[in-house]
Amino acid sequence: MVETLVLLAFLGLIVSTLWWPRPVVRAVGAAFVGGLVFLAFRGPLGVLGAALPALGVAGLAAWGLPQRVLKRVCFMVLSLVLLVFVTTWLMYSVPGNPFASEKQANEQVRAALRAKYGVPESATEFFVLYMGRVLGEGTLGPSLKSQGRTVEELIFPAFPVSMSLGILALTIAVGLGLFLGVRAGLKPNSWSDSGSMAVAMVGISIPNFVIGALAILNFSLLLGWFPVAGWGGYQHLILPAITLALPYAAYIARLARGGTIEVMQQDFIRTARAKGLSERAVVLKHALKGAILPVVSFLGPATAGILTGSFVVETLFTIPGMGQWFVKGAINRDYSVVLGCALLYCALITMFNLLVDMAYALLDPRVREEL
Amino acid sequence: MSTALPPNPSPQAPPEKGTSLTADAWRRLKRNKLAVVGAGLLVAITLLCIVGPLFTGYNPEETDPKNAFLAPSDEHLFGTDSLGRDYFTRVLVGGQTSLMVGFVATLVCLIVGTLYGAVAGYYGGRVDEILMRFVDFFYGIPYMFLVILIMVKVQGDEATKASAVPVFLSLGLVQWLAMARIVRGQVLTLRDQEFVLAARLTGASDARIILRHILPNVLGIVIIYATLTVPAVILLESFLSFLGLGLELSWGVVVSEAVNVVNPVRSYWWLLLWPSVFLAATLLSLNFLGDGLRDAFDPKSRR
Amino acid sequence: MYRTLLGIVAAFVVALLVVGLTFSSAAEAPADYTFINGTEPKSLDPALITGQPEGRIADAIFEGLTRRNTKSLRPEPGVAESWEVSTDRRTWTFHLRANAVWTDGTPVTAHDFAWSWRRMQEPELGAEYAYLLHVVKLAEAFNLYKSNVTALVGPREEEKESLAEGVAKIREGWAKAASPETPGIEAGVWQAFLARHKAQEHLKGCPDRVVDEALSRTSGSLDAAALAAFEEAVRREATRRLAVHEEAVAHFGIDRGAFAKDDRTFVVELGAPTPYFLELTCFYPSYPAPRHVVRPVDTGDILKDEVRDWFLPKKIVSNGPFRLADWRVNHRIRMVRSESYWAKERVKLGVVDALPTENVTTALNLYLTGQADWLPSNYPPDLVKDLRKRPDYYANPGTVVYFYRFNCTKKPFSDKRVRQAVCLALDRATIVEHITGKGEPVAPSMVPPGIPGYEPPSSAIRTDLERAKQLLAEAGYPAGQGFPAVSILFNTQEGHKKIAEFIADRLRRDLGIPVEAKNQEWQAYQDNVRLLKYDMARAAWIADYPDPNTFLDMWITNGGNNQTGWSHAFYDRLIQHAVDPEAFAAGEPESLVASMKEQDKARALILAVKSARDDAARVEAAGRLRMHLFREAEAILVQDEFPIMPIYFYVVSGLVRPYVKEFYRKLVLPDGSTAEDLQDLHPFHDVWIDAEAKRAERFR
Repeated sequence: MVETLVLLAFLGLIVSTLWWPRPVVRAVGAAFVGGLVFLAFRGPLGVLGAALPALGVAGLAAWGLPQRVLKRVCFMVLSLVLLVFVTTWLMYSVPGNPFASEKQANEQVRAALRAKYGVPESATEFFVLYMGRVLGEGTLGPSLKSQGRTVEELIFPAFPVSMSLGILALTIAVGLGLFLGVRAGLKPNSWSDSGSMAVAMVGISIPNFVIGALAILNFSLLLGWFPVAGWGGYQHLILPAITLALPYAAYIARLARGGTIEVMQQDFIRTARAKGLSERAVVLKHALKGAILPVVSFLGPATAGILTGSFVVETLFTIPGMGQWFVKGAINRDYSVVLGCALLYCALITMFNLLVDMAYALLDPRVREEL
Repeated sequence: MSTALPPNPSPQAPPEKGTSLTADAWRRLKRNKLAVVGAGLLVAITLLCIVGPLFTGYNPEETDPKNAFLAPSDEHLFGTDSLGRDYFTRVLVGGQTSLMVGFVATLVCLIVGTLYGAVAGYYGGRVDEILMRFVDFFYGIPYMFLVILIMVKVQGDEATKASAVPVFLSLGLVQWLAMARIVRGQVLTLRDQEFVLAARLTGASDARIILRHILPNVLGIVIIYATLTVPAVILLESFLSFLGLGLELSWGVVVSEAVNVVNPVRSYWWLLLWPSVFLAATLLSLNFLGDGLRDAFDPKSRR
Repeated sequence: MYRTLLGIVAAFVVALLVVGLTFSSAAEAPADYTFINGTEPKSLDPALITGQPEGRIADAIFEGLTRRNTKSLRPEPGVAESWEVSTDRRTWTFHLRANAVWTDGTPVTAHDFAWSWRRMQEPELGAEYAYLLHVVKLAEAFNLYKSNVTALVGPREEEKESLAEGVAKIREGWAKAASPETPGIEAGVWQAFLARHKAQEHLKGCPDRVVDEALSRTSGSLDAAALAAFEEAVRREATRRLAVHEEAVAHFGIDRGAFAKDDRTFVVELGAPTPYFLELTCFYPSYPAPRHVVRPVDTGDILKDEVRDWFLPKKIVSNGPFRLADWRVNHRIRMVRSESYWAKERVKLGVVDALPTENVTTALNLYLTGQADWLPSNYPPDLVKDLRKRPDYYANPGTVVYFYRFNCTKKPFSDKRVRQAVCLALDRATIVEHITGKGEPVAPSMVPPGIPGYEPPSSAIRTDLERAKQLLAEAGYPAGQGFPAVSILFNTQEGHKKIAEFIADRLRRDLGIPVEAKNQEWQAYQDNVRLLKYDMARAAWIADYPDPNTFLDMWITNGGNNQTGWSHAFYDRLIQHAVDPEAFAAGEPESLVASMKEQDKARALILAVKSARDDAARVEAAGRLRMHLFREAEAILVQDEFPIMPIYFYVVSGLVRPYVKEFYRKLVLPDGSTAEDLQDLHPFHDVWIDAEAKRAERFR
């Protein structure tokens, strides 16, 4: 009951940002920007050390950032809080709890654990406690399953792992996807189109865990080219990156094909050909450009997904990346890990979408003018 | 299994009604070899899954552990699984569930997404902005949590009966966002067209205009995207089965069981091969068909 | 321009790759010995851990008073170089060696043990395994009595009422109703009331007869006078517990229970002679924790004073043969030989790695390619038939029982004839032969074989389909007609799934009853079993210590792990008296013996206790009487009531490379005979690797 009311209040608040007057948006937006900077720097710099740059950035934001961006910031920060609330509420409403064990511990043990880890019995209380911890102490809190560690200590060391795996997977996905997509799009409805797309679609037609298992079986166990699992060197990276890349390559190929078909129908292609440009040059100069544009807008969500959604690959290859926490957190009911992951994912999505917008502007002059 | 989010579709002209155009589209579709082959294969597999189990002579749940892991033979076309159940029957019955999950979850997503998107697009302005902000908001939640938590919630509430409903619901509910965006984009361009204005002048209610005039016009694109949602949902279900959260018997279930028994120590390869072939053929067909439909009916939105 | 852009992107990608790889992996030499640990340990604080993956690491980096002999797993001198026990077997004195030191050079003293044992019992610590040391005098009082008292008489937090208040409220309600005849509370309602207040848990071990009778009332009704007497008794008990608790706070770990006589003498006083006590001293809950690291300051507030992450590599101080060098979550735990260990020259392994691989196929692949030397049980279960043929496969029976719970509170399984029918219909032989396939013995009873001194009762559980059908007809479901649809609840795991699907299929076909297998993820499954939202549910029970009590005391009415809703007053009393058989023999045993199945044997044992000439003889006779009480109790489970359906006893198996030496697949006892390794423990302190044999090994 209380939860529903709080939820409605939150929704109302977020919706109301649309009607906020300009000065309010400026002030609140700038304050939020400053707050984010403060939270980011208080760990390494301490309260005072973080306050200075935060104030500076807030001032700059109030002075220099466009109204639209500030409005967006207001919405984003508020929805982050809502995200925490909704996730908490959802977690509390599903069966199970972080301290369940096969042998029922007595009441006292459960109460002691709840006190120790700061997990009250009600969702609202936990939400208040959690927000207090994040804002007041600047920490994502202790993990409930990996005792003695905070959520940061679990997720941050996994970041470089996911980054190296993700960057390679993304490169493979873009390379393979563009190649197949452009090849298919150059001659629609031909055999080369069908063949390329058939290859490309493998990634979204066979479950990832089957592809991974078969890759291990063939290339590691039978041929012995790569280690079966583990983490440490470049040789550990190849199979998982390919497995991770294939589904994304399929989507990219689909987008690239569409882009290529469209661009090849444009007048300037005919002009270029008429000018006597070689087919190779036409493809490299123009078709590729047409193919890249739709792909770029997909890269934002794809990067966020590739960094965080690699549970299957990490499990099959025992890679200590971030993807595991997204599933394990939910399965173990490790509330603080779940919330930490949700916040991280949200931040990544926002960040990569911003980057993509910038890249888009760089590539497409029309969009540049719009911005 | 990926978080593939189709980007915002660009607004475009509505597909005009007219036999010539449709015929044109059909012609284009028929020229697309992959789409034609896909459609045929899909129909064949669906029929086989529905009708096949009646004729195999086995019950998919009838166990016979003494005859576990039999290799394919005349008696058991696809061999038997770890409990001695006829694998052919199991693959076909698993196909029934997988296909059903795919179509029902897509239906859920289609209804929710279309209505949501239509309302947002039709009213536009603030309403649109508010509604689309919620879509943005949901995009920010890792879909994995949503699926797992919704699934566990609905499943846990009815502990004594096995059911596929939670799977439909949770899978449908994470897929509707893209559908809502696409429909909204379409409706935005439709709402100022003459036929809508005409309907409004005759005093039709908003609900009537949306349902009777606008939705029929976006149905084409909705169906196209639905065709692409079905394979995505089936794939997601197989991932849930890999986590052990899925259904009792589906392609995802049999495949994820089989992955563990293909090993240099002992390879019961047929357990992995057959369901994988069926699954891959179905998903490929659906993807090709969806792509083909889009190319044919919506030539400008080749994204 | 595009070329430049492409160049920039490429450089960026390569840079990120290099940076990522550098930060995420330190190129380290491979370990001497690597094993698959199955899952990531939750903690390495010996007082707080419970699982096997945690235990394997804790056994390597910590050491208790005794340690396990590699060959026999029997306790041998560890931190204590010798010990003696009093004739009544209630007082143990351990003499600690002078050269036992923590990894930071501080000596390990008796005070460390006294403090650690006391810490384990501190209510605020929330140690799950605290109850294992409740055999020590005052430990339970220190650990639980305070919360017992709060639950019994308050004051309680929030809106919860205490047991005494609840009873009083019922009586007040009657007084207000002012009905002429004396009202009473019906036994079923009464039991529900007790369960809500967890009365059995909080009154456990209460010697008061009034309490005993009220708790075990399962028929008739209780009137106002009975309630008043009960409330009075509860208050009396609460007062007593409070006094004992205060005594424990003042003395436990200081000069009573378990305490340091001097730096090198540790004394343990037991509440009753405990045959398995010495085993506990090499089990991780009894290991010492370094006080100077865990709680450098002590203001009395555990939540503030304890260093939460003291067991992580940066801070840990330990006293075992190995020390924790590195722990990267989801990647690896690395242990290296401790240079401060008292027997370091006998430890041959330099570096040991534990891999937290959960995926069974990956685990097997790692083993097959030589990246792991030992794979305990985490392989795909369907491959067992082939793995069994390999020379590097080993298997041992374990003290674990696999069984199904029946929900005894709900139709149709509230009828014990239906429960028996299902028990009799089950074809256990096929399950162990063709589904589990490791050579598991079928389970006719709850307690697994191999527990010293205990012989399970004869069981009515066997496969007899005709009798099963007959029973089902007697219960009103001839040939399964009218039987409500039921399900078998199991948690997600392939092995459980296969068994559940097999049983469901066979019950459908053999008894004609509509059964389906229902899979649920672990957490939801646990909740639903606890809340009795199931019909049949899969379960397994692992012995915490080698004694029937660990398998039988869970079935007492409203016991936390009962989770079947089954309740049997006579059973409860048998279990309760088994706590102190000497007192039972000295009291009025005949009231119980009269309802026993093997009365003559019971009487003879009671006589033996009473007429014992000395302490030793009495302790021995009481021990046998205790086992008999358990036997009678188990007979109720498997001859009359069937709240559970035992299926099979576990076999624990694994793969280990032949070049791993001093790794015993079977135990070798001091007298040279071999025995089964019931606990599946394989200590590392003597293990060594035959390098030549390893080089000669062909992987894959």
